[in-house]
Amino acid sequence: MPSPAETLLKPLTIKHLTLRNRVMSTSHAPGYGSDGKPKERYQLYHEEKAKGGIALTMFGGSSSVAVDSPAAPWNQISVADDSVIPFFREFSDRVHRHGAALMIQLTHMGRRTRWDTENWLPTVSASARREPAHRNTPKEMEDWDFKRIVAGFAAAARRCKEGGLDGFELSAAHGHLIDQFWSPSVNRRTDKYGGSLENRMRFGIEVFEAIRAEVGDDYIVGMRMSGDELIDDGLTNEDCVAIARSYAERGLIDFVNVLGGQARDHMAHAVSLPNMSFPVAPFLHLPSSIKREVGIPVFHAQRVTDLATAARAVEEGHVDMVAMTRAHIADPHLVRKLAEGRLDDVRQCVGAGYCIDRIYVGGDALCIQNAATGREATMPHVIAKAAARRRVLVVGAGPAGLEAARVCAERGHSVLLLERAAAAGGQIAVAAKATWREALTGIPRWLTQQALKLGVEIRYGVEATAALVEAENPDLVILATGGRPDRGDFPGSDLAVSAWDVLTGAVEPAGSVLLYDGTGQHHGASCAEFMATRGALVEIATPDRMVAEEVGTTNQPIHLRELYRLGVMMTTNHTLVEIYPEGNRRVAVLRNDYTHEEEERLVDQIVVELGTLPNDGLYFDLKELAANRGEIDLDRLLAGRPQPVPDRGFALYRIGDAVAGRNIHAAIYDAARLCKDL
Amino acid sequence: MIAAALSTVTLAVLLVGLGLALVQARRWRAGRAAAVDLWAGLAALPGRYLVDVHAVVGRKPFNARFHALSAGGFLAALALLVLLALPPLRHPILWGLLAVALATMLAGGLMVGYRRRVLRPPELSGGRFSRLPLALTGFAAAFLLVAADQSAGGVLPVPVGLALVALGGWGLAELVFGVWKGPLKHAVHGALHLVAHPRPARFHDGAGRDSGLRPLELAAGDADSAPLGAGRVLDFAWNRLLGFDACVQCGRCESACPAFAAGLPLNPKALIQDLVASLDEGDDGRAYAGHRHPGHPAGAGASGPSLPLVGPRAAIHPDTLWSCTTCRACVQECPMMIEHVDAVIDLRRYQTLELGATPVKAAAVLEELRATDNPGGRDLARRLDWAVDLRLPVLADGGACDVLLWLGDGAYDLRNQRSLRALVLLLRRAGVDFAVLGADELDCGDVARRLGDEATFQDLARRNVALLNGRTFQRIVTADPHAFHCLRNEYPAFGGRWTVLHHTALLLELVRSGALPVTAPLARAVAYHDPCYLGRYNGETEAPRALLDAIGAERREMARSGLRSRCCGGGGGAPLTDVVGERRIPDQRMDDARASGAPTLAVACPTCTLMLEGVVEPRPAVAEIAELVLAATEPTP
Repeated sequence: MPSPAETLLKPLTIKHLTLRNRVMSTSHAPGYGSDGKPKERYQLYHEEKAKGGIALTMFGGSSSVAVDSPAAPWNQISVADDSVIPFFREFSDRVHRHGAALMIQLTHMGRRTRWDTENWLPTVSASARREPAHRNTPKEMEDWDFKRIVAGFAAAARRCKEGGLDGFELSAAHGHLIDQFWSPSVNRRTDKYGGSLENRMRFGIEVFEAIRAEVGDDYIVGMRMSGDELIDDGLTNEDCVAIARSYAERGLIDFVNVLGGQARDHMAHAVSLPNMSFPVAPFLHLPSSIKREVGIPVFHAQRVTDLATAARAVEEGHVDMVAMTRAHIADPHLVRKLAEGRLDDVRQCVGAGYCIDRIYVGGDALCIQNAATGREATMPHVIAKAAARRRVLVVGAGPAGLEAARVCAERGHSVLLLERAAAAGGQIAVAAKATWREALTGIPRWLTQQALKLGVEIRYGVEATAALVEAENPDLVILATGGRPDRGDFPGSDLAVSAWDVLTGAVEPAGSVLLYDGTGQHHGASCAEFMATRGALVEIATPDRMVAEEVGTTNQPIHLRELYRLGVMMTTNHTLVEIYPEGNRRVAVLRNDYTHEEEERLVDQIVVELGTLPNDGLYFDLKELAANRGEIDLDRLLAGRPQPVPDRGFALYRIGDAVAGRNIHAAIYDAARLCKDL
Repeated sequence: MIAAALSTVTLAVLLVGLGLALVQARRWRAGRAAAVDLWAGLAALPGRYLVDVHAVVGRKPFNARFHALSAGGFLAALALLVLLALPPLRHPILWGLLAVALATMLAGGLMVGYRRRVLRPPELSGGRFSRLPLALTGFAAAFLLVAADQSAGGVLPVPVGLALVALGGWGLAELVFGVWKGPLKHAVHGALHLVAHPRPARFHDGAGRDSGLRPLELAAGDADSAPLGAGRVLDFAWNRLLGFDACVQCGRCESACPAFAAGLPLNPKALIQDLVASLDEGDDGRAYAGHRHPGHPAGAGASGPSLPLVGPRAAIHPDTLWSCTTCRACVQECPMMIEHVDAVIDLRRYQTLELGATPVKAAAVLEELRATDNPGGRDLARRLDWAVDLRLPVLADGGACDVLLWLGDGAYDLRNQRSLRALVLLLRRAGVDFAVLGADELDCGDVARRLGDEATFQDLARRNVALLNGRTFQRIVTADPHAFHCLRNEYPAFGGRWTVLHHTALLLELVRSGALPVTAPLARAVAYHDPCYLGRYNGETEAPRALLDAIGAERREMARSGLRSRCCGGGGGAPLTDVVGERRIPDQRMDDARASGAPTLAVACPTCTLMLEGVVEPRPAVAEIAELVLAATEPTP
């Protein structure tokens, strides 16, 4: 098979537009919009991909065409009036400057949204069938709704064209209005828009016909759709192939962007946005089935995280354009690196789903491992060289320490990294031991490889001391010594072991186990799963309203699915208040947070997960020796200005969980934000 | 009586020598006809010898000195000896002059002895050559004593005088009979070769450089007559054979040859001697006492004027023939002005055109070239795939622009696309009115021609010339020295006459004119690797250096540079014929770069880029000059 470069760096022409290669990013909703407009942050995020060599970057997932499909509440984009056009113009100039094409996604969400936001309008759909994910029952569309919404689509299409965008796609996927009409699971109409597939397709056809009448046949218009809804009463693969053929043969669409599944409930949502527990490209057969039947280019995104898989998808003829959306969040320069023969330097998406999980709780999309993504205005993707070369000593080869070492080495400094353990990774190495969380190891693997490539000297098995640090005579000392498990301070807490003890293998899970999870993060759920797969009888107890409550919507369902499958008992709304021994066994006292009634569990083992406390001994040993006494000038840090340079001695900085236990992204951002200016 | 003996011996030896030379001449005169202007050659001989030959010999000043002394002394002595054969002229003054000439020669002979016995350069041949110092000094010393004695009136006892004449006579015979197969062969043949040289334009009185291959007559229906290329030694033109016979086995080519240094089975000196040996029936080459082709013992093949030259059991092993990178280092170093590369191409033409015996991968590439007009078998329409986002202006038939950018085959290669991208951005930055041929551009035919596929080359050349002549432009610019060479030096024979520039020359012009202001001087050490097809083939060694200086590089010269640069191993189709050696040529070149201590190795050729970047790290970073210029001329905000 030809090399990935040979296959992927081949242009594709759609009408008048020639895309420079086969790699794209699909429209998504990173939550960077402001007032319903794609302003600087949004534009810079996409410009970075354009700089990085991408052929086509599509923005504005679920951009709205009508007032009853709200956009602004989720920092998305509204194309429902002309005020967005100047922003489109600025945006398209910015992306075109780097040779990439720019498109948007337009949609009406139908019932897949909320009524209690900016305009307080009821949602609408084909039929008054309740949508589980958003818990609302829509109004069945009536004649003037059809007229209004069709006109809204056409007007939005015109705005795209006037804004200089290269084209757009309509979303008819994930259960938006057009596919709500298609899907027999929603559409129960008896008029000309319901019943046969031909009737169910009618609304979408009317929308596209109105769009074509508005923008003409020259403008590029595509459609995003599912290749199989993967539910009993939904669209089958045959239905989807028939729909794609029908729309394509009518000349309504210039490309079709195919995905697998739909998103009407939590599990379906997680499946349609596959995380690291899935194999790569799990739904590639669906665009492939449609490509066989249509004469227009086929796009596809769904966990294509590496360029070899992307190349296979194109080379074997499954798709024409392969979308690496999350892969670009991890590394917006991956196409450039491919073209430069630097495949090894691509920071590969590990499928943690951190980016997308944040947006479903109203946050902005951030990459678990790349602190610059979405922060292009302040954080560089390519680190500039420092004016002066300095000697940097980093302690701790977890994510914070590795990122600090990498960034300092990119700055041109001479970097020595000391790690107590025999290998790099820190807490990621522990977390990755839990079943499907293994892919997390990709984060320290890349960081370590980059650090070594940049000339960082890493010494493993070395416990850093104040004397050792002073002996190295550094200019800068960065402590990323991480944390250790917080074992709690309730009576009998010494009778419990930590999730770390279990995952690292220090304690063998045995018999009946109560895992008490105080954080609601991945750690508790994945440790429970880890123990259950080893034959332990596991109960997970938490004060939260659901297990893994802090885990996002593309990951939590996977945890729950696995825990249910393994027969793990899930006890919510309870706090562990005491442990006492009974013979060789332990009794856990759980208190109901609402009734304050206590109940007991007699088990062989109690595991607690309460987060971490900082390893700060070395920091306080060094603090008085350091010129800056460990102080980080926060104003300078936030302004992107260098920290003050001491006249003599060394400056000391503490980052990551060594300061306070947080997460991987926080550790990496701590490191990158500080070190990029050192 | 001693004088008479001296004259008799001298004249007898010279007569025999003349006879031997005439017999010897029959061997090379049996070659194919060649159009030679003998009178013009004769007139140009002294100049060619004193200027061109001396320029080469003088690169080793010690050698130049001993050669001047011994050869000058010898020639003067011979002339005087002939004069002294006439009894009326036997005047003490003439004897004294003879003594001076011989003393001069003796000094030269002693230097030759010092070189052969003490310095012992490894590239020198032994055999009859090892007796040379003895013959030189024996002749000069013995006759010097006789001459001195005669000028003093003749006081030596007759037996002693006769013994000296005999000793000197032996030395003279050793030297003069060397016109047959000995050291002195080069004197006669070298002079004749200068007269009848197949590339008279290469001398200072011509263009000073003549490196383009001559078109091969491919007339159809000519099967009975001359074959295409050289299959047997007599298929070479007579003046080519004369050139081979002029070889003095000094080994300068051997020292310069990158293939030999890498242990590939090619030694240009041995190759020329293989051809010389083939002129005689039954010469198995064992008389040759220099280094063989590495890994190939002497006498492995049968040779003779009527036998095939190339084959596993022939005079020249195919691996030897296909090891050559056509880098011209041998030609550059040869004091006898032998054209080794022409010989290699003639041999390859026969192998490829008459026998279809091109080695496997090279044959496949030629096949692709014939079918698709480019060696990679790519769709010509894909030549601009890498530049979709650059929206290059394409010059259609009948169109006009200032600079026609010839992209070459590098446009299909991921690495070289980066160099081309840098070049295009620079042209844009400088506001140059340029265009490309797009899907119309065909391969220039360089690889085909160097692999002996003259038919494919000529086909491509004619079609490229036709499409270029259909467009209007001031000059052609290319980043590929191989295309540069073809377009500039080899296409004129097919009606293509344009101003062709290597991109380094254009970039230098743009930097100097201020069109590309240097905003971020490089300020680091850079070693520059001269591409063979830019340096030796076209004499362009200054523009890239001046360009590097202009962008603020701290330029370092490698051990071999400029016109004496060491090849990257990528020319002449060598990466396709892929003959195995002890080391890879690019690895050796990278050693030169490492030794320079520069962190960056600047290259100016797509082939060099690939060969040198293919060397395993740690090594200096390889950067195409355009990439360095791009970085140094980044507009300031």
